[in-house]
Amino acid sequence: MLSFLNRRTRRRPGNAHLWYGLAALLLFASSTAQAVPSYARQTGAACADCHAGAYGPALTPYGMRFKLNGYTDTDGNGGKLPLAAQLIATRSIPARGESTTRLTEADLYLAGRLTDQVGGYVKVENSNTGNNTFRTRLNNVDLRFVARDLKLGDREATLGVSVNNNPGFQDPIAALPGAAGIGPPSVSGTLLNLSALAHRVIGASVYGLYDSTWYGEVGSYTALPTSQQDHLGYAVSGDPGKLSDTGYFRFAWMKDLKRQFVSAGVVALSTRRQLPRSGPRDDITDLGYDLSYQFLGNREHIVQLSYTNILEKRRYGSTPASPSTPGLAARTRGAVRDQTTSLTYTFRQSYGITLAHLVNSGSRDAVRYTPYGVPDTTSNLVGVFWAPFGKDDSYTSLANLKLAATWFRFARFNGSRTNVFGAAPGSATPVTDARDLDAFSLSLSAAF
Amino acid sequence: MTRLLLRCIAIAALCLGGALAPPSAHAGDVAAGSDVFKSECAECHSVRAGRNKKGPSLFAVVGRAAGTLPGYNYSDALRAARWTWTPEKLHGYLSQPASTANPGTRMKYDGLADPRDLDDLVAYLGTLHP
Repeated sequence: MLSFLNRRTRRRPGNAHLWYGLAALLLFASSTAQAVPSYARQTGAACADCHAGAYGPALTPYGMRFKLNGYTDTDGNGGKLPLAAQLIATRSIPARGESTTRLTEADLYLAGRLTDQVGGYVKVENSNTGNNTFRTRLNNVDLRFVARDLKLGDREATLGVSVNNNPGFQDPIAALPGAAGIGPPSVSGTLLNLSALAHRVIGASVYGLYDSTWYGEVGSYTALPTSQQDHLGYAVSGDPGKLSDTGYFRFAWMKDLKRQFVSAGVVALSTRRQLPRSGPRDDITDLGYDLSYQFLGNREHIVQLSYTNILEKRRYGSTPASPSTPGLAARTRGAVRDQTTSLTYTFRQSYGITLAHLVNSGSRDAVRYTPYGVPDTTSNLVGVFWAPFGKDDSYTSLANLKLAATWFRFARFNGSRTNVFGAAPGSATPVTDARDLDAFSLSLSAAF
Repeated sequence: MTRLLLRCIAIAALCLGGALAPPSAHAGDVAAGSDVFKSECAECHSVRAGRNKKGPSLFAVVGRAAGTLPGYNYSDALRAARWTWTPEKLHGYLSQPASTANPGTRMKYDGLADPRDLDDLVAYLGTLHP
């Protein structure tokens, strides 16, 4: 849903109306919850065993292990139907533009185990595009084959294969944007950020966990044909391009101390991209690192802190000339960086507050980033939520519920705090400041 | 005089016996044990009667024959163990990795190293009865 942000076409101030809905979409992205009751039914666990806030997506160490085991853990009591559903209603109030109250999403999950070794997660999303029109899209897919309880020396190990459509979603620590569901909004973000490749690629990786501590993963992706993207509900205008020689690499250290959890990891994605598909090739490499810490204690008070920093280096296959400045051409090389810092406090796994600081920055290029020459965008998110169910002693285990209020504020957009699209004085296009993109949303999510 | 001496010796023996009592006779802190349970056990075990998760319900576990809770699919290893979960048995079982205490078990647990935490946990488990 943020794909138009990462297109490399030049934005014209006349398209400003697109941006008024931007903040609402961003809130949508950041508050998308991934509670899957079919997993709770399959394992006998409460939602709060795997999700600190009893509704997701942030994972406890127990939830990370469930994911690493290929979603195959059970309570041993026979097969359960791996089906779940979610409804989300949202009241969205952007700083500029129309406020809306609508049923924003109706999701179907095929999520659970087929055998002791095979399990998965498939989300089919039905989202409201306005005017009572719903668009059906294939959201995240993560299908796994896993070999558990292996022994390497005297230590335990797990090996698995993940087939997925969103680099980073399959990550067990869930700190990468694809898994955390949050990343810096931008006019030019890294490929590993929320939307550049998400759901428009297909890939496979092999992963291993050693001694519950060391995690490694190697994989590759390819972009789906544009016709396939269209069939799956994704506009061709958001095509990430033709990808070749794409490699994904992840290495992390984690320590579950029961009352605390800590992790540190690195991630890399390298590809050669052609966009348009018959055009010249760009060499793109993402290198990132992430740190996370959780205080879990006796689960009365939970604190989760995470930081991710992804640097993307680009060698462009084309250097377009500036349409306005003779003799000025785009640079051959460039870099962007996405940083996400988030802090969540949860009380009794029912009430929580999340603070996130999201920074996108890039090297100067007067032709690619107009009018200010840099894409720099800084935003902040404050969210509070209430999840009354999802615990062992909850009133009901048949359904889960989350009420959330989220404030999204832009400190900087497209390289500036003010007049972010560079509207000329006296032109018909209204001046838009970064704060004009702010938004507030109230959402109610119910999962069955 | 002899009676007085005998009385003193008896009192001294009682005091000495108390001082030399084994550590397991030390009463655990139930409230602290509840916290230990929440951080160490609660992901896989519920304390509610009849609620099985990845592990069986631990309601009324103290004094129960191991592997006998109806409705839970125990591993063959635990069923064959023929234990009774006395406080002493729980203490020993939980002080080491489950795979060492009961080879072939499905339970994944590295054990609790702190003897005070063990006392507290066992004391808390002892309160879970009708």
